Amino acid sequence: MLFSSIPFLYYFLPAVLAAYFLVPRQAKNAVLLLASLFFYGWGEPKYVLLMVFTIGVFYGCGLAVGWAKKGAARRFWLILAVVTGVALLGVFKYADFFIANIAAVTGLSLPLLHLALPIGISFYTFQCISYVVDVYRGNAAPQRNPINFGAYVALFPQLIAGPIVRYADIARELDSRVTTWEDASCGVRRFLVGLGKKILLANQLGQLTAVFRASGEKSVLFCWMYAIAFTLQIYFDFSGYSDMAIGLGRIFGFHFIENFNYPYLSKSVTEFWRRWHMSLGSWFRDYVYIPLGGNRVSKPRWIFNILVVWMLTGLWHGASWNFVIWGLLFAALLLVEKSIPAIQKCPVWLRRCYVLLAVTVSFVIFNAEGLAQAGGDLAGMIGLGGLPLVTRESLYYLRSYAVVFLLGFLGATPLVKTLAQRLPQRAAAALQPLVMIGLLLVCTAYLVDGSFNPFLYFRF
Amino acid sequence: MKKSRIVGLAAVAAVWLALSAAAWVSPAKDISEAERRKLAQFPALTAQSVGSGRFMTDFERYTLDQFPLRDAFRRLKAVVHYDLLGQRDNNGIYLTGGSAAELEYPLNEVSVSNALKKFNALYETYLSGSRVVVSVVPDKGYYLAEKNGYPAMDYEALFAAVEDGMDWAEYVDLTDLLSAEDYYRTDTHWRQERLLGVSQRLCQALDAQSFLAEELTQTTVERPFYGVYCGQAALPMKPDTMYTMENSLISACTVYNHETKETTSVYNMDKLESRDLYDVYLSGATPLLTIDNPNAETDRELIVFRDSFGSSLTPLLLKSYKTVTLVDIRYLASDYLGQFVDFHGQDVLFLYSTLVLNNSGTLK
Repeated sequence: MLFSSIPFLYYFLPAVLAAYFLVPRQAKNAVLLLASLFFYGWGEPKYVLLMVFTIGVFYGCGLAVGWAKKGAARRFWLILAVVTGVALLGVFKYADFFIANIAAVTGLSLPLLHLALPIGISFYTFQCISYVVDVYRGNAAPQRNPINFGAYVALFPQLIAGPIVRYADIARELDSRVTTWEDASCGVRRFLVGLGKKILLANQLGQLTAVFRASGEKSVLFCWMYAIAFTLQIYFDFSGYSDMAIGLGRIFGFHFIENFNYPYLSKSVTEFWRRWHMSLGSWFRDYVYIPLGGNRVSKPRWIFNILVVWMLTGLWHGASWNFVIWGLLFAALLLVEKSIPAIQKCPVWLRRCYVLLAVTVSFVIFNAEGLAQAGGDLAGMIGLGGLPLVTRESLYYLRSYAVVFLLGFLGATPLVKTLAQRLPQRAAAALQPLVMIGLLLVCTAYLVDGSFNPFLYFRF
Repeated sequence: MKKSRIVGLAAVAAVWLALSAAAWVSPAKDISEAERRKLAQFPALTAQSVGSGRFMTDFERYTLDQFPLRDAFRRLKAVVHYDLLGQRDNNGIYLTGGSAAELEYPLNEVSVSNALKKFNALYETYLSGSRVVVSVVPDKGYYLAEKNGYPAMDYEALFAAVEDGMDWAEYVDLTDLLSAEDYYRTDTHWRQERLLGVSQRLCQALDAQSFLAEELTQTTVERPFYGVYCGQAALPMKPDTMYTMENSLISACTVYNHETKETTSVYNMDKLESRDLYDVYLSGATPLLTIDNPNAETDRELIVFRDSFGSSLTPLLLKSYKTVTLVDIRYLASDYLGQFVDFHGQDVLFLYSTLVLNNSGTLK
């Protein structure tokens, strides 16, 4: 079930909110757990069992790590948890990728498993691993209540598209929380802003990328429009989902970490990754990069660490070589930035242009069906392949999407937020509910019309 | 927390809850008048449908189709899409000069080739020895798209493909006889009252007599015509006025529908209440019709292979023909045609629109 869908907005969510606020405090996590399993099962009923299995294994490992007195026993349960998490990802997400590549290298005819990828597996598996590691490191106490732990792992607001919420960050709220009027108000506002980002910007831009992909009349202009449209689409889609998740969490009394902070304003790729999918970046930093030694090692080892982390970051987004290349491209850019400090002395506008260009190119690779398509798209952007500069079709779509592009450019900056904050308090108080109701109605109108509404995270 | 924030939250929640409550309790509708289609109903809830995920997919479709104030929401979306987001089309429909048209591009050469294969098979199986005329009806986009900056298919390539691919037929070009004003503003189709020139050119190619303007009376159909684009564009559009071109010869004709076994007149006023007012012409879409013309000037017969554009044109071709058979191979498989139609050297007209030729998967 997508947040941006009529069943979620007008059936599931009102029913869950009613049940949640009607039951006594001690039953609230049970309501969240049941609702989350229903939410998860809506997309793929059979994988509810996988979710329950995951909850059971990591709940048990967490308790065992907490209770074990000897270091060896604690390490055993930690390793068991990590191996289980990696194995789940290996089987359900990466098995066919590895089989296909082994077959390609060896020439063997190996059958693929063709398992459907459980939605959100990368998010909740990472949360589970971080939980047991945090218990092992003493950063969190093991959760004794299986319902509370189940609610943490399956929590529907952040289940399918993040942010990756660490157990330690919400442990206290899992056990005891209240929803204040402030929480509810901010949560609803944040959710609707995210919904608007997803439906009014990301989906419209996504429609343009779909038109480009289907077009037989590509041009250099069209290739650039596609690249920019997808770069904006994935930002508004992903940050919109994060806004909706954070908003929903707030309504239920949770305070999730932020996941995006205007990444397209970054002046370096290093800064970009401090602003983009922050929960993933910090996860890899704390659970892979630093355990590998981080930057407190020899230079070759440090380069190795960087390459490993970014190759894994790429693979996390999907089991395909273009994701690996995408990750390694960022590794290369980060290494260059760290090796040439003079870059930081370039004018700010130049650094911003460099980041935007690098990120746009990276997302062309990211969104391609394979390396050949990525190569074709990039070649089209620099005029290779005999494409005309413009076609009637590309000019039409440039005119048709001019306002959406403009809104996208503005929306990727803090301008709207700043203007809203500068409004006189009275005007803001009067306008805010009107804008929110307007957003709700317009987003509903787009959904009712059956508009283009893709889910980008099916490979995550 | 300030009282104003609580009031604001309450206002948003009230709208949300009201819509949600309406969605839960509103009775399901059977059809959408605006979109001219059946609406999805609540899906069967079984272990099998849930296990396979079909229930969830169907339920989502049901919630979209049955959402309260659906038409108003679709209109809101169209207004935001056109006026706020500046999009030039909504669901592939664009408005220019008060007329709606659909983006129909690019040229689908595979589809055109598929249509030509069907037509060639028809000729080889049934039509050898007949006088055959073929003509392509340009869709409204031919006159509107390029002029107004919308992408358009390569129409000239399509016309050339048809002319070359049916070299056993005489090709008749209609493009110079028509303009955007000869089509309904709110619909795909052309206006019968403006087709006299088209009918005269086709009759000339068939070596048949055609009606003169003074032989026909233009009668207003007493109901506003909201064409198919009204529903698809979801924007408030003024309706078209529909006319029928009549005279005593046309009025005396009878139309036999081989599917329903009913006999009607050329202009079927029972269809005034139908979802598509264009169905007044020859009762709308149907596989096989035979028109008997008791006052024909000759005993000649005509077979028209056609799509819906033929419904409004064919009455204007009746003057010389005692019998006119209309075949729509979108609804009747070509292979079985011989069981229903006796082919014996009648005149033949192939009349297909660019819309059908570019989307010929429906031809059987």
